Amino acid sequence: MSLVVAEITKRFRDVTAVDQLSFTVKEGSLFGFLGPNGAGKTTTMRVILGILKPDEGQVTWQGRPFDRLPRGFYGYLPEERGLYPKMRVVEHLEFLGRIHGLDRMRARRETTRWLERFELGSVSRKRVEELSKGNQQKVQVIGTMLHDPELLILDEPFAGLDPVNAGLLKEVLLEAHGKGKTIIFSSHRMDQVEEICQDIALINLGRLVLHGNLRHIKRSMGRQILRLNLEGNRDFWARIPGLQLLEERADYLEFRLDGSVDPNLVLAEAMEAGQVIHFELVEPSLDQIFVEKVGAGA
Amino acid sequence: MSVIPVLVKREFTSRVKGTAYILTTVIGVLVFVGLSFLPPIMQRISSSFAPKSIELAVLDHGAEPSLVPFLLELSGEREGLSVRDVSGWDEVEAYRLVLEEDLSGLLLVDGPLCTLVTPDSKNVVLNDEIKNVVNQAATRWRAAELGLTQAEMESLFQAVDFRIREVAPQQGDSGEVDGAAQAQAMVLAYFLLFMIYMALIMYGNMVATGVAEEKSSRIMEVMVSTVKPLELMFGKIIGVGALGLLQFVIWVSTGLIMALLGRTGFLGMMFGLTEPLSSIPLTSILWFGLYFLLGYFFYASIFAAAGALVARVEEVSQVVSLLMMFIMVGFFAAYISFLNPNSNLAVAASLIPFTAPMVMFARIVLADPPLIQVAASVVIMLLSILVGTWFSSKIYRIGILLYGKRPSLRQVAQLLKG
Repeated sequence: MSLVVAEITKRFRDVTAVDQLSFTVKEGSLFGFLGPNGAGKTTTMRVILGILKPDEGQVTWQGRPFDRLPRGFYGYLPEERGLYPKMRVVEHLEFLGRIHGLDRMRARRETTRWLERFELGSVSRKRVEELSKGNQQKVQVIGTMLHDPELLILDEPFAGLDPVNAGLLKEVLLEAHGKGKTIIFSSHRMDQVEEICQDIALINLGRLVLHGNLRHIKRSMGRQILRLNLEGNRDFWARIPGLQLLEERADYLEFRLDGSVDPNLVLAEAMEAGQVIHFELVEPSLDQIFVEKVGAGA
Repeated sequence: MSVIPVLVKREFTSRVKGTAYILTTVIGVLVFVGLSFLPPIMQRISSSFAPKSIELAVLDHGAEPSLVPFLLELSGEREGLSVRDVSGWDEVEAYRLVLEEDLSGLLLVDGPLCTLVTPDSKNVVLNDEIKNVVNQAATRWRAAELGLTQAEMESLFQAVDFRIREVAPQQGDSGEVDGAAQAQAMVLAYFLLFMIYMALIMYGNMVATGVAEEKSSRIMEVMVSTVKPLELMFGKIIGVGALGLLQFVIWVSTGLIMALLGRTGFLGMMFGLTEPLSSIPLTSILWFGLYFLLGYFFYASIFAAAGALVARVEEVSQVVSLLMMFIMVGFFAAYISFLNPNSNLAVAASLIPFTAPMVMFARIVLADPPLIQVAASVVIMLLSILVGTWFSSKIYRIGILLYGKRPSLRQVAQLLKG
């Protein structure tokens, strides 16, 4: 029961934007789709939506090709936002609801409900072009969710939102997730991805770099981060092979531990060198994984 | 449920309140009202050009006998004509007289040679009138020399009663042709033709600009994720077409109301007109509607494809100018067809989809072309609409997601192959 992207390849003239890319998004999951600029995220999303036809491979939902799904099955928030500037907010949202398959009554009802939820009731009669960038962004987010789609594909949904509205959006996404909707979103803010996603795919140069459950990925990285502070000889660690100093701070030292290093051994050495105040093993942050993986590949 | 009605409605309602639309609608109404007053207006215009009076000085250089007595005789008979004999004067003095007393001109007579010296040589109407007067005098002079009586002269210049009847293979003799009515029909046809031409350019541009706006505002991405490109294109074409149709209905209603008022004589009384008001024949109006729609649907999809090829609205005019050329060629071909509606050129142009909407319309209004040709042009237009739409939708589908540099013609050709 899932969305399967199977070995898709998309070329533009002599540039291969997406190269033999495969990954699976489980139904009902919150899926983070990551990659540096120009990695092929938008192209992949467009292929998933059927806007672009892949040169090879295919996308299926529960085994069915994607182009036979009913209208309004998905909601798409493109990275480059766009609305009809001259339309009034209410009219625009009702229009978006209707082209996604809602009848007139329901489109009207949902528009009112969502405008209230996003605190846009006061500007609902204004033209889109009269709204601030942030409010336009909110209108567009509503336009993506209004018709209650099963699958949400959001390209950088948090970009351009202030912390209050980003919080609101996060709440709305988690709520949709709670109702069993499948959500794919791209972001370059790793902290946001870590906060709400279970599964991720990381791509670079059109190829898959990492894919799977975020926790498993972190564990399988084969290394850990050690934070250590002691009163005494801080230079003891130079004697231990496989230990690499990442950062020296007043409150602690941060090391990267190779897979071969036993953390207990490090603790024993540290206790000999002085009074241990702080000893903490942490998983690498997604940020660190991202830089490591993409930095090596790029 | 199809999504096209929703798209059509948005297209229609977002434009119908626009200034440009309201303005052109009002101008069209004024044109139709103006057309109804065509005969009285034309009468006024032609009478305003005619010279009110001719005041001529004549200086005869030659020997007796001369033209001068006959000119003086005419000046007694003809209203608005006064001739003053200044023979024997110095030429320069005569010039001065013309300028000082603001005469129409000085006629220098030297045997058979007459020279008009006038302060206003560009006034063709006046000069022609003077030439007429001189000729008339000359005729009298010669008649007098031949010793013809007044009655003999009248019979000599009696005009033939010349009429035109048209005969067609099927209908036989279709009756007498009214020259004045035909001239009027030509002016009406010209106006309607001009409206088709304007409407094709205006609505074609509206479609192209609309597509380019959707691209540049990036709403296109959201749209194509749920609406098929073909539906999107049809939504726009039908929506803009509905605007055109509404405008057409408003204009035609104006024409019909004016015709009705004209028939009851109400307007004539109100404006104190003695000439009858013209009305546009209903059949011409229906043909106008048909060929506007055929032309619009043929050109609209091509304009949509053109709009899809640019990334910014400002670039639309560059791409669209080529299409406007086609429409202009059609307009001029139709204009030429006015002179001879059944020439080979006119027949050929009325069967080519790019020019047919205008040329065939002009021919129908003016010349009753063979039914088979009319049917052929309609069928050709319908087929061309299908082919053109199919062709354009392929360009449109690819074009709407192309950003950045505008593709060259060769790249477009490659896209079509792929």
